[in-house]
Amino acid sequence: MTRQEYLRRQKEELGRKVCGVFPAQYPKEILWALGLAPAEIWDPPLASEQAAAHLQPYICSVVRQGLELLMQGQAGVCDAFLFPHTCDSIQNLASVVNDYIGLDKPCYFFYHPKAPYGPPARAYYLEQLKSLASALEPLAGPLDLAELKRRVAQGQEVARLHGQIYHRRAKGELNCSNAAFYQAVRQGEYLFPDDLIPFLEGFLAGAGGHAPRGQRVLLSGVLPNPPEILSLLDDLGVAVAADDFLACSRRYLFAPSASSDPWQALSEQYFALPPCSSKGSPIQERLDYLLASAEQSGAKGVIFYLVKFCEPELFDVPILTEELKKRGLPCLALDVEINQGLSGQMATRVEAFLEMLG
Amino acid sequence: MSLASKVQFQFMKDLGAPALMALGKAGKKKRPHKPNPDFGPPLKCATRLKQIMTRHYFLARYARGARPVAWVTSGAPAELLRAFDFYTIYPENHGALCGAQKMGTKLCQAAEEHGYHPDLCSYARIDLGHHFTGLTPAGRLPRPDLLFASNNICQTVLYWYKALAHYWNIPLLLFDTPYNFRDITDSDISYMAAQLQEMIPTLERVSQKKFVMERFQQIVQLAHDTSALWGRVLATMKQRPAPMTIFDAFVHLAPVVSLRGLKVSHDYYQLMLSELEDRIGQGIGAVTNEKKRLMWDNIAIWYKVRDYAELFASHGMNFVAATYTNAWAETIHYLDQAQPFESMARAYGLVILNNNLNHRLNLMEQMIKDYSVDGLVIHSARSCKPYSVGQYDMKRLLMERLGVPSVVIEADITDSRHYSEEQAQVRLEAFFEALET
Ligand code: SF4
Ligand code: SF4
Repeated sequence: MTRQEYLRRQKEELGRKVCGVFPAQYPKEILWALGLAPAEIWDPPLASEQAAAHLQPYICSVVRQGLELLMQGQAGVCDAFLFPHTCDSIQNLASVVNDYIGLDKPCYFFYHPKAPYGPPARAYYLEQLKSLASALEPLAGPLDLAELKRRVAQGQEVARLHGQIYHRRAKGELNCSNAAFYQAVRQGEYLFPDDLIPFLEGFLAGAGGHAPRGQRVLLSGVLPNPPEILSLLDDLGVAVAADDFLACSRRYLFAPSASSDPWQALSEQYFALPPCSSKGSPIQERLDYLLASAEQSGAKGVIFYLVKFCEPELFDVPILTEELKKRGLPCLALDVEINQGLSGQMATRVEAFLEMLG
Repeated sequence: MSLASKVQFQFMKDLGAPALMALGKAGKKKRPHKPNPDFGPPLKCATRLKQIMTRHYFLARYARGARPVAWVTSGAPAELLRAFDFYTIYPENHGALCGAQKMGTKLCQAAEEHGYHPDLCSYARIDLGHHFTGLTPAGRLPRPDLLFASNNICQTVLYWYKALAHYWNIPLLLFDTPYNFRDITDSDISYMAAQLQEMIPTLERVSQKKFVMERFQQIVQLAHDTSALWGRVLATMKQRPAPMTIFDAFVHLAPVVSLRGLKVSHDYYQLMLSELEDRIGQGIGAVTNEKKRLMWDNIAIWYKVRDYAELFASHGMNFVAATYTNAWAETIHYLDQAQPFESMARAYGLVILNNNLNHRLNLMEQMIKDYSVDGLVIHSARSCKPYSVGQYDMKRLLMERLGVPSVVIEADITDSRHYSEEQAQVRLEAFFEALET
């Protein structure tokens, strides 16, 4: 079933409203508890037609493709849109859509505090969670606290399963291609937890065994697109051992909070997520995280998927690559445009990099 | 802080800086001056401005070790730092200086050699380029003890200052200002005010000075008054002919950005305002034959300021308003010494770039009416996504609502490699034609 078909069924058969969500961090458990199905908009595969009339050419392809989806009327299944505060481009896109383009669907915004997280940031985040819930209530409310608790518990189960999947991959105990791994992990962008949990359990059960014995690398960046890089790695027998993608592990891997208060639990979990450029985490924290991931997973090199014009990532990369190299981890930085495939030159660079790893 | 550095700083302040000023004056007299008939007489206060900024950068060379030094983003609430006597350096102001002196591209390239992508904000690349090479038209910038950033202008400054904090292993204080997708809330204000209070122990430790509330309140008041004066300076351009141009304002905003909260900046705008009022009284315009009045959107194209000033003046066009220069006057009236933290949160949380685009559109509409604007020049600045994303729709909406013609110039604030003279000329000619017919 395609994403669109799945989301239509959510509406038609289960009476759920669908909320299109732009990247990246948001408390999806609140949407679930309100019976809203989040449909994340990262990289819709559309030809560029209308976004250029609204955005300058120096805006990243994630923002561009997201707007394209709206302008081409391809997000008809969505009843509303949510824009988390990820970067300057998403921030302004939110306002362009809400203030200038004027969709006739409600738009919401979610601000999460930036690092470092002192007590005011923690108090503010709690208030933001509650104010997002109140803002969404007219659309899909009222919010039932017991339901929120249940959804928070489901969110923790999803995180536990993602944790296991990542752990088994890092140990070389996952028998699946790189392409299939990310296809599975990215189901979390639209599956409701009632379906996501059994899906992830099934994936874990079906992917037992051993990873290919070839070279192991770590991937970093915003999202694993273009997927052709994953296929190339598969063809070359190279296993991705770990990642630090904003769309994947940076949002999926956290230790569940023990708090019985669902708001508190959501808050603690946000602050326990891996370091992230879009949240302003110090570069040293991200460096330590990457080094630990590489060590635990046996990755011998790092490939950065850098979405062109992505400021949060592009500012971190010079120091990260310099420091990683100093510690014996070679790095390759690829400038990518989402959904633009893999040029021959880029493929050659990847191959040369892997050869150098030995 | 060392005694020797303090003595040296004081010596330079008392004797070195005045000597330099005197030398500057002597040098200036020798230079021939060829007046351009399209312009009215130049602003006399420009000499004083030059002295102030030269002195600021000159003394900066001796500040390290004598005073706590902070590097600060242009939208950060520097009043708090003044209460601890920090010597403040504004890399964005320095970036503009490098851009105007045509050093921008060279410094950007230096950062690029260290892995910083050519697509990143060029203020940041200039600053990082300066970090790697030490090159600056200002002689030497003091290495900071502390970095102070606010993301009320962009998130970019946070990423950029994180890199500096890493290289120098110094504290970075972030004043996190939630973006106003709709109206600012009490919860936003409390969060921001609490952050300012939370910073005090770090500022005390770095500066080795105790926080004194009364002094802080006085500084807040002085900053309020200075920004109010700056607002009055800008408002003189409502007059026809306008006694100054936005190109003047781009240059003369340096004290309100870099020295806000200090008496020197307050006194300067008093001087400037009184000169402008005199000019109004005498009917002196900045452009001799002011036929059309324009508004500028976005930061300046620093390496083209002079060329553009001359080009537009030759068509009898004067820029009388800009959202950019207005930013240091727009919200500062919220500052209230009786409630310094909360009022600072409001003043700095509501700046134009931290506000939704509807706010910007309404503000521009108002300014177009208040300043009798006939046309709009939109600088689509490759460096600056928060200022630039949305401009295409804004152009369309202003035309629909007010019938104001506009032109978009694709360029960059300081990196001249992103400027195409040919493309700009074609667009500007069409714009001049539309306005002149
Ligand atoms: S790719 Fe980067 S710039 Fe683009 S939306 Fe994502 S975080 Fe923002
Ligand atoms: S030019 Fe724009 S992106 Fe760069 S520092 Fe200024 S506000 Fe931020």
